[in-house]
Amino acid sequence: MSTPVAPVMRTLTQAQLHAYADASGDHNPIHVDPAFAATTPFGGTIAHGMLVLTLIGDMMFAAHGPAWLASGRLKVRFKAPTRPGDTVTASAGEAKQSGEVTEYAVQCANQRGEVLIEGRASVLAPA
Amino acid sequence: MTAAARTSISAFPRGHEFQATEFRLSQPDVEAYLEATGDRNAYGDAAPPLCAVALALSALQDQIALPEGSLHTGQEVDHLALVPVGAPLRMTTRVAQRSERQGIVISVIEFEVSDAATVLVRARSTIMAPGAAR
Repeated sequence: MSTPVAPVMRTLTQAQLHAYADASGDHNPIHVDPAFAATTPFGGTIAHGMLVLTLIGDMMFAAHGPAWLASGRLKVRFKAPTRPGDTVTASAGEAKQSGEVTEYAVQCANQRGEVLIEGRASVLAPA
Repeated sequence: MTAAARTSISAFPRGHEFQATEFRLSQPDVEAYLEATGDRNAYGDAAPPLCAVALALSALQDQIALPEGSLHTGQEVDHLALVPVGAPLRMTTRVAQRSERQGIVISVIEFEVSDAATVLVRARSTIMAPGAAR
């Protein structure tokens, strides 16, 4: 029987983008400078893609524990920007088992159903 | 390195190896990262691999410039072993692929984070950037 993967949902705030910039060292103004970001084609700040991706890491660790940390694989595309105030839900599709590997289609979507990140995650089944 | 001294990512050829860096993920580093991301899981003595990748990407920006209009369009991460909190780590980075189309350069940057014995995380970031002025 495959391990169930529960969705993870978070609302991202501008304060969180600043905190993530401090924690990761990525202070690109598109993420943290609203005045600058307003002059770009995005029209405002957007979240770091790696910040949004953490929802998938969070979700997979919650389901698989240390096996995810030691044997997980992620391959994703960033498809659309995430803006402060967006509520993002990470979710996984039905598990596919191939030998010892369990693979899922994974995505992050916002409150409007727009797909922000899409790809696949896999993990070795724990012994 | 100052911003003025950095070179656009699009100017680096396939195979270019960036200067290796050594670092540690301290417990406060990991706690700040988890707080910022909103991740409430308990990771014990291991760091989330994405934490190591995020810091690797950030460190790379000390060596390259991302011109306005650059986009991080894809990410691959292979977790090969637990990333220990507090242990000395080494990061190597290279341009694994480079292609150019209609003035946009697509670079795939490959990172490896290792401890003294083995590669712990391998990651590939796809970044689209305006072509470098020639």
